[in-house]
Amino acid sequence: MSCFGPRRQTVGQVFRGDSRAVRRPTSVGTATLVTALNQDDSADEGSDSRASDVRLTLPARPENVAVVRHVLGAFAEALLLPDTVIEDMRLAVTEACTNVVRHAYADGEPGPVEILIRPVGDTLQVIVSDEGRGLRPSAASSGPGLGLPLIAALTHELEIEPAGNAGSRLRMSFLREQPLEPA
Amino acid sequence: MTTEPQREPPTRVSVVAGPLVGPVLRRVVGMLAARADLPLDRLDDAVLVADLIAARAPAHVTGDRVDVALEPGPRSLALRVGPLRAGGGEALIVDAAVPGVGNVIEQLADELTVSPEDSGEFLHVRLAYAATTA
Repeated sequence: MSCFGPRRQTVGQVFRGDSRAVRRPTSVGTATLVTALNQDDSADEGSDSRASDVRLTLPARPENVAVVRHVLGAFAEALLLPDTVIEDMRLAVTEACTNVVRHAYADGEPGPVEILIRPVGDTLQVIVSDEGRGLRPSAASSGPGLGLPLIAALTHELEIEPAGNAGSRLRMSFLREQPLEPA
Repeated sequence: MTTEPQREPPTRVSVVAGPLVGPVLRRVVGMLAARADLPLDRLDDAVLVADLIAARAPAHVTGDRVDVALEPGPRSLALRVGPLRAGGGEALIVDAAVPGVGNVIEQLADELTVSPEDSGEFLHVRLAYAATTA
């Protein structure tokens, strides 16, 4: 099955599991996670008392997507994540941030994009949220585009939901260590 | 009738006090300093200041997070660190002293102030580059 298979992206929907179709063989099986960064195994949402989360709030401008990628790299290096996980994370989060830059706010109306990165159990969670117009069909494109299907293919779990009074929130989870490929 | 251009939201970094503060803050400061067109030596200074703040600020914050707001300007970068506990701003500056070198933040910053606000103290650091003519 293609990783861009016929999955529908709807607000509030959670995608799980079949992202393995785009997994590259992993060569890292012994990544040692830094103990100091892994004190947080609780999964309660919205808690501010997490042991090692990073919050970034940036103007939703194209050049700031690179800042997010850079910070993701720092986080991933500190956690000694496998290269394949880092690549998937970078690509998925880049897509999510690019969506915010392109679609969340009206032209010339600056708004924030917030990125929360935190370990949750055996996954790494990245939440990208904005205060913009929310998810809706884009008049600027003729189809659904590759962004969301690509993100869904790269993540272990993807949840899309409205964020507070305005805007949208993409909650992406990545397995810290990828399952071994069947022989 | 004229409308004022909307002000861009600031860049904010908030990291739980711990080993991630340094790697995250230095990267964000480095990228914003480069974008602000600071020359290489001042970019290096900005990253050094970021490293010092990352190392010293956790002892002086009010909660368990280090919060920094960053505002790049034309050939300048301003950092606002806090909220810090009462006296934390001055203490952070004092902590940045290196034996034999002196206070690094004081030497490198073009502006360095501490301001009390409702939620605590804030340390303001501004690094700039002004070309001089001979």
